[in-house]
Amino acid sequence: MAKWGMVFDLRRCIGCNACAVACKQENSLPDGVFFTKTLSEEVGEYPDVTRSYVPTICNHCEDAPCERACPTGATYTRPDGIVMVDRDKCIGCGTCIVACPYDQRTRLEPEMLNKGLFGDGRLTPFEEQGIGRFTAGTVVKCTFCHERVDAGLLPACVATCPTEARIFGDLDDPHSRPRQLILERRGRQPLPEKNTNPRVFYID
Amino acid sequence: METLTQPVQNSMKPGKWLNSSCKMCIHSCTTRIHVSEDGVINKIEGNPTSPSNNGRLCPKGNAAILRHYDPARFRTPLRRTNPEKGPGVDPKWVPIGWDEALDLVGRELKKTLDEDPRKLMPAINDFQKLFLWAWPAALGNANYLSSVGNFCGGGYHPMNGFIHAAFAAANDVNYCNYWINNGGGDGFSSHLHTAAQANHVAKARVERNMRVVVVEPRLSIGAAKANEWVPIRPATDRQFALGLAHVLVAEKLYDAKFLKKDTNAPYLVGPDGYFVRNGEGKIYVWDAVDKRARLWDDPEIKDFALEGTYTVDGKPCRPAFQKFKDILADCAPEQMEKLTTVPAATTRRIAREFAKAAQIGSFIEIDGRVLPLRPAAYNYYRGAQGHKYSAMANHAFKLVNFLVGAIDTPGGHVGVTLDDQMQDIRGGFGTIQAGENGMLQTMPHQLHPEVPFSWPPNETHLMGFFPIGVDPGHLTQHTLANADKFGLDYRPDTLLMCHSNPLWNLPGDREQWYAMLRDMRFIVAIDILPNESNEWADVILPSHDLLESWNMTMIEPPHHEGMCLRQPATPPLYDTKSEEEIFYEISERLGLLETWNGILNFVNGFHQKPELLLEPTRKYSDREIAERKGKLWNGQDLDWYVEHGHAVTPRRPEKWYRPWEGLRLHFYLEDIVRARDTLRQKMEVADVPFRHEWEWGDYQPLPTAVPDPVHHERADFDLYAITFKDIQINFGESIGNPWINDIVFKDPVHTAVLLNPKAARERRLDEGDIVRIESPYGSIVAKLALSEGVHPDAVCVSNALSRVATQNTGVRHGGGNFNQLLPANLRHTDACSGQPETVAKVKLTKIASVPEAVAAGNSVFGQRSGRIGGKGRAH
Ligand code: SF4
Ligand code: SF4
Ligand code: SF4
Repeated sequence: MAKWGMVFDLRRCIGCNACAVACKQENSLPDGVFFTKTLSEEVGEYPDVTRSYVPTICNHCEDAPCERACPTGATYTRPDGIVMVDRDKCIGCGTCIVACPYDQRTRLEPEMLNKGLFGDGRLTPFEEQGIGRFTAGTVVKCTFCHERVDAGLLPACVATCPTEARIFGDLDDPHSRPRQLILERRGRQPLPEKNTNPRVFYID
Repeated sequence: METLTQPVQNSMKPGKWLNSSCKMCIHSCTTRIHVSEDGVINKIEGNPTSPSNNGRLCPKGNAAILRHYDPARFRTPLRRTNPEKGPGVDPKWVPIGWDEALDLVGRELKKTLDEDPRKLMPAINDFQKLFLWAWPAALGNANYLSSVGNFCGGGYHPMNGFIHAAFAAANDVNYCNYWINNGGGDGFSSHLHTAAQANHVAKARVERNMRVVVVEPRLSIGAAKANEWVPIRPATDRQFALGLAHVLVAEKLYDAKFLKKDTNAPYLVGPDGYFVRNGEGKIYVWDAVDKRARLWDDPEIKDFALEGTYTVDGKPCRPAFQKFKDILADCAPEQMEKLTTVPAATTRRIAREFAKAAQIGSFIEIDGRVLPLRPAAYNYYRGAQGHKYSAMANHAFKLVNFLVGAIDTPGGHVGVTLDDQMQDIRGGFGTIQAGENGMLQTMPHQLHPEVPFSWPPNETHLMGFFPIGVDPGHLTQHTLANADKFGLDYRPDTLLMCHSNPLWNLPGDREQWYAMLRDMRFIVAIDILPNESNEWADVILPSHDLLESWNMTMIEPPHHEGMCLRQPATPPLYDTKSEEEIFYEISERLGLLETWNGILNFVNGFHQKPELLLEPTRKYSDREIAERKGKLWNGQDLDWYVEHGHAVTPRRPEKWYRPWEGLRLHFYLEDIVRARDTLRQKMEVADVPFRHEWEWGDYQPLPTAVPDPVHHERADFDLYAITFKDIQINFGESIGNPWINDIVFKDPVHTAVLLNPKAARERRLDEGDIVRIESPYGSIVAKLALSEGVHPDAVCVSNALSRVATQNTGVRHGGGNFNQLLPANLRHTDACSGQPETVAKVKLTKIASVPEAVAAGNSVFGQRSGRIGGKGRAH
């Protein structure tokens, strides 16, 4: 069984957030909710200054503190490593939000769902066809586009990324692109000191 | 476990995929559109079969669904009931039927045309249906209110027409190893097919280690990703390029063989600026071996002299190259540094690196053809060329490429056409033709044929006075304000806009623009969403959007060619029509149907395949026009395009590399001297009273280092304000789209104006201060953010902050439009190209708070600023 993971190539990423918008399209996310987003930060002093662009996403941690913290078993890990939330079991207690060191979880408040993307309390046909996937009071996060992945497709953010900065694949396969890139360009996991063993790696 | 049986992800739901293309900017990345079983569009992706965008889309392309479902869309034709017009004033629209609306428009336009066609100003700016731009030709009227082109590329497009016989230009990503980007976002944030270009440039950067050097006042995305950011004082890009050229020439780092054989650099220039010709008009060169003048095509020539001073037929003269060398004597990097602030050592190093990377003398075989390989190129766009002496600036950047032989060759700086129309020609206004004396025929008129000179001017933007420029729409403000001086014997009173937002795009004082619009007897706008300009309309004619209409084009692709299909993914949501239908209906009501079909045949190139010709008296749908354009390209019908989505292929080398083989390129632009003298003579004959004030010095056959007049503004205006766009907002009205708002207004670059911390300290200003930014021409209000990524002389205003409050309350307004800081006058307009200055000298004054009127409503000041999700915690 594959173990899915992602590599972010920081040399490629231009911080455009096409990934974030593709995710919003694919998953009908309410206004202000992100499953992935690219952060930016200025580094240095004029004239020796640059700006770093760092894509972030749920790391589908192998030792997921969110899963450990979840009192109901709503958060679980699929055999292929994708960390999921079962909304039927989620009670919205938010323990997982506190437990996640990467700020990757959001609790859906009723007004987030009700106000609509245009903020006028009305839902467009696009929102109406997508809203059913969400239950107010539960916690959501990136699912690595599990349905697309099950169908053999790439996650939406990966498919659209203009610079191909997001590389998705099987981390257990030594010949997969992400594994090779991790090896060749010494991939680093985010916040290794948290001992979460993320399935997301950064190369630069 | 997951309890749902239905898929939750949109692209996995039951439904169908359709091939189409994007129009969230002016370009045309190919897409696949997913439509659910209920007919709802729920996912748009890039089409992976296109080698151009390779299945990728930029954030705007990803946000098209919310433009489609935007509740603010115009749903029916509308008629104004509020006679009072003003910015943000509710027009009190009432819905009317199409027949009534079209009859009304037809009647009002007819009235104007019967009085004086010059009183009708068309502003038609749909870049993907370029043929609509030609509609005013049916009226015999060129009095456009142009709101595109001249701001971005007044000098840019004509210069590409001079040098490449093309509309735009790009560095050749296939082979380039040293990529200079000066004031243009190609490959990172803006300009040609951003999503596609970002894809190819990232590959070149990472997989081939292409070196990127970005020269800009602000740390843009490109600068952040570059190997080297060279901060530069605004409006001094030309001087930087001349500094590079100085080093290339002084250190003999140039491609002499190319200059001698493929350009007019050896042609002898006389003291009057014209080439020295014999009695039959043939141009002389100097044979350096035989030490005598010969005609340029004399087979006996042993060596073309590039340098020296000679006398031919009693006339002192020197090769064009020597003329440039003489200019460069005053352009040492040390001298240029005083203006650009770029350390001379940096300029010298970059010049040497550039020349080395260019591999002068190397060749590559492509498809059996041996071509010079020059993997180094200098690319530039709006920020670098948008200055008073724009023609000179554009020419200076081109000349850096000329010197290393990198024009239209693998790895170099290559011409890009607008819409190629046919596989086997470089079409439209990008046709390659032989000109006089062995030179390429220049094609400075890339958007429409030359507008003839007239006095009094038939065009309020004075296009007849800019024989080699792009319509300077902003000058309409200047001429109307000085109607006597310009001898105007008419006053425009009717405006027809089509996907155009002049109040947003044009420089100049807002109040004067408002006064002009208030004076209009009748305004009609064809559009999709309310904006700054169309809220002044008396009638709105709502058009289909990009997901409801047919089209066929591929606009300005930098490395590809072909046609991209657009097809409706759903029936129109509302009572809208295609632009084609609207213009046919209006034309018919004006009795111009046959004329319009004749123009469409010509501008679409249908006359090149007579079986595609439109019949004079029929009206055609968007589908029928699209089908013809597809057939013209490759003979395939619409079913083929529906199945394949596009006919996009990598550019064919034989068509794109040195398509002018055997002709000489224009290193020296004698055409500019000729245009100057022809215009001067016409002004003399017409006795134009201000002909002596006309800035004749702007017409230069070679660029000089004279500073742009913006540097001579009063000393208390001590900073330079620039405006910029990034990939989320370039080339389109994407602010107001909730997904774009969600990413733009959480980015510190777009929530406040940017100032260098040192510059702020010197002025006792601080992060978060509210400031008035004042130029000699106008002022805006903004919140200040401090950024190390800003030249200490610059204030940088994101284009996201330049919207003003309108009926479309989803669009957050800022503290005024950047463009009101800019003058709309002749002094700051390039007399050669019509390009207005796009940098303003300003001073900053701290004010207590945002004025109430500015802060009211959905303003950017009401928004939380800060990074998306706070500081990077990822690593
Ligand atoms: S889409 Fe790609 S390049 Fe753009 S921000 Fe996301 S990861 Fe970076
Ligand atoms: S990143 Fe956060 S939400 Fe995702 S698996 Fe790790 S701890 Fe859980
Ligand atoms: S670059 Fe332009 S055409 Fe391409 S996806 Fe973005 S908005 Fe659409």
